[in-house]
Amino acid sequence: MRAPVFRYTHLGTPIHRLHPLVKFLYVMLTLVLVMYPIRITDIPILLIWLGFSAVLWLIARIELRRFTTLMKILVGTFIFLLLIQGFTYRGGHTPLITFGHLRLWEADLGVITREGVVFGLVLCVRILVATSSLPLFVMTTPTSGIMTAMGKLRIPQTATFMFVSALSFTTLLFEMWGSIVDAQKLRAFDIDSMNVIKRAFKAYIPILTPLILLLFRKANDFQIAMETKGFGAPIKPTEIEVLTARPADYAWLAFIIAVFVTCTVLKFGG
Amino acid sequence: MDENKILSLQDVIFTYEGEVVALQNLSLTARRGEFVVVLGANGAGKSTLCYLLSGIAPHIYGGRRRGIVSVAGIDPWDEPLYVTSQVCGTLMQDPEVQLFMPTIRTELAFGPSNLGVPREEILRRSKAALSLVRMDGLEERNPRDLSGGQKQRAALASVLTMQPRVLVLDEPTSQLDPAGRWEVGEAIERLKRSGDLTIVMTTHETEEILHLADQVIVLERGETALMGTPAEVFSQTARLEQAGVKTPALILFQSRVFSGRTTGKNAGERKITLTVDEVAQRVESAVQAGELKVRQTIPASPIPHPAEGNSGTEKNGHTILLEARGISVQYPGPPAVTALKDVSMQVSQGEIVGIVGQNGSGKSTLVKCFVGLLRPSKGEVFFNGESIRKIPVGEMSRRVGLVLQNPDYQLFTASCLDEVRFGLRNVGVAEEEIQPRAEQALRRVGLSEVADLFPFRLSFGDRRKLAVAATLALEPQVLILDEPTTAQDHRGRYQLADLAKRFHDEQGGTVLMITHDVDLIAHYANRLIVLYNGQVLLDGPTAEVFTQVEKLRRSFVVPPVATQLAIKLAPLGVPPDIMTLDQLYAVLGS
Repeated sequence: MRAPVFRYTHLGTPIHRLHPLVKFLYVMLTLVLVMYPIRITDIPILLIWLGFSAVLWLIARIELRRFTTLMKILVGTFIFLLLIQGFTYRGGHTPLITFGHLRLWEADLGVITREGVVFGLVLCVRILVATSSLPLFVMTTPTSGIMTAMGKLRIPQTATFMFVSALSFTTLLFEMWGSIVDAQKLRAFDIDSMNVIKRAFKAYIPILTPLILLLFRKANDFQIAMETKGFGAPIKPTEIEVLTARPADYAWLAFIIAVFVTCTVLKFGG
Repeated sequence: MDENKILSLQDVIFTYEGEVVALQNLSLTARRGEFVVVLGANGAGKSTLCYLLSGIAPHIYGGRRRGIVSVAGIDPWDEPLYVTSQVCGTLMQDPEVQLFMPTIRTELAFGPSNLGVPREEILRRSKAALSLVRMDGLEERNPRDLSGGQKQRAALASVLTMQPRVLVLDEPTSQLDPAGRWEVGEAIERLKRSGDLTIVMTTHETEEILHLADQVIVLERGETALMGTPAEVFSQTARLEQAGVKTPALILFQSRVFSGRTTGKNAGERKITLTVDEVAQRVESAVQAGELKVRQTIPASPIPHPAEGNSGTEKNGHTILLEARGISVQYPGPPAVTALKDVSMQVSQGEIVGIVGQNGSGKSTLVKCFVGLLRPSKGEVFFNGESIRKIPVGEMSRRVGLVLQNPDYQLFTASCLDEVRFGLRNVGVAEEEIQPRAEQALRRVGLSEVADLFPFRLSFGDRRKLAVAATLALEPQVLILDEPTTAQDHRGRYQLADLAKRFHDEQGGTVLMITHDVDLIAHYANRLIVLYNGQVLLDGPTAEVFTQVEKLRRSFVVPPVATQLAIKLAPLGVPPDIMTLDQLYAVLGS
């Protein structure tokens, strides 16, 4: 019974105590950083931000093993990106491995180029940076804090609630996935022991079909539970959570902005 | 007009979209503070009644209605749900889907905050509701970390913060273990005694509500079969049986032993407040007066005995099929949970073993170890003397079949026949053998007629039978049933157990049943294992284990009513290891 990814864990670390809006700003700045126009020379800047995020993760005492499934998906994506960029990148032609020659416009599809691999690497780091911030936010901020913070930003309550429900549904999804995989294993259908290709082509139907049917049913039950508690009433909801900023929040805010400005200056001024 | 009348239904007919008539000519009134219990078999219309009162029908489940419904002065049909929710609160069966906020505090505040109730008032209501369900101090806990009973109590508290005048409880204890049922029952009792809230509750657990009910209504195929005070309704045992409603064992016992004088009280009384002590006392008086006699021998036990073994690893002449040697299982956290601690046991061929214990006591973990779904962190599991550590789960499924509580985790094909064929193909059965074996498995569970039907069109009970068919088709030597009575009504509750019994009788199979239902154990199991905190608390012949009342209490297991009575009547010479009412009738004769 591993705690599911994205689920808030109550710990008293400085990151957990940090004002939700400061953490939300960190998520936004991360997204801005990865949206900057991409260049091969961006790696150091991305690594600075990734290192900064890693420090935040360490302080927040987030266990990496909760991300085993996510990491597996990411590793697959990274290998795909490195290969595809290695073969098709058109910004350089230094051969790293040559299988033959198959020219297609400016690329030689028979050669993995050094520039292509490096560019693939930049993309991988960029994805890693992008995926590192949101889990930190949702795993260290209670949902009530997230809702209040989003309320302060004047995000409509329905949108906020959809986001929060999606987080809650993720936990449920993981639990149901595990139960369905177990149920099918009992009929000698073991998805965990299949190779990637077999999984992709035939394994998911016995898992996804019951999952989708069950999710529809659960969603219906959730709707009943929510609407019988007045959700959707044309009334301004009461704010229960009171968020107060402490000096430490301002210090963190300044520090996050400073790191972001440094990265931006390095990117555009270097 | 009666000012205290808060609930009124007059000649109500409700038809779901698709022309399924769910309720017919239903009339019901309830006054402020009354506790109305609605009974009936699955499909009798109990939940539909709840939906009509709370406005879920037609606002979420569409349909057509005729007749008049009034709940605290409003007609839920004409009002949006958020308006009805202010007068009528609803608690459903499954606590999991009613809790969606990260903490109890925010869960309780969710309803009133949607209605714009001032913050201070919300906090006051939350505190009062938590106190009523005895969960003070748990405000910051994540609902997902709570036990089943706590979750349902938290869900109840979250409904109470809406301050409804009518509370609708749709089988609120049906998915809980005995401790959870007791906790929620106690909370409902406090609620009933604390104010003027009108409560409408549907249930199959007649024993639990008997002392609370002011009015009982029995539905049968959408119509009122019986209605009245508990004494009036429960005196009609034959009619109850016909409607698929369980008559509480103590009433059934008295009706048989004292020839129809069920309660020993005036028939006009509104309540029945019977306890085992009171009934035992009545029997004692009857014996002393010479109206009843005690025969001091227990009638032949209907319980099957293990088959004689003659090969492999043996214990007392029986082949040992399954064995756990010092197994421990720990789930990683945070926080880490030790589910099994150094558990050792042997299961012989031909045994029918009941496994009981609270949720979290390690029952499911244990059987998952038996089929190889979980590998113990310490110790080893053996099948027929061979360690299963290196045997894949798929291979194990041909030896030990596990039928999970929820069949919907496995059903995915377009027909019932395909569902059975799927497993057979996976284990590599020859193509020409698959069809006859699948058909035979469906025949065995009585689903041949619906072999081509989409599994999700079957009732829940039939979907469970289909899961059993899919398991039996693999021809395992051991069949494990996880909670075979879950979500079943009185009539259908032993269907799976009967299938398991046939597997035992006709094929010499070994059966393990995880359950909270002590009557099921008493009827079918020759051996009972009680798990407590990941360890074996008791293990022995069923009748013997049931007499260990004090130890059972630690695990919230209450012996069957027949055993409880027999223990009380032991000074009269009644053997204390009686398990069923039939055995008790045979011992007590006039």
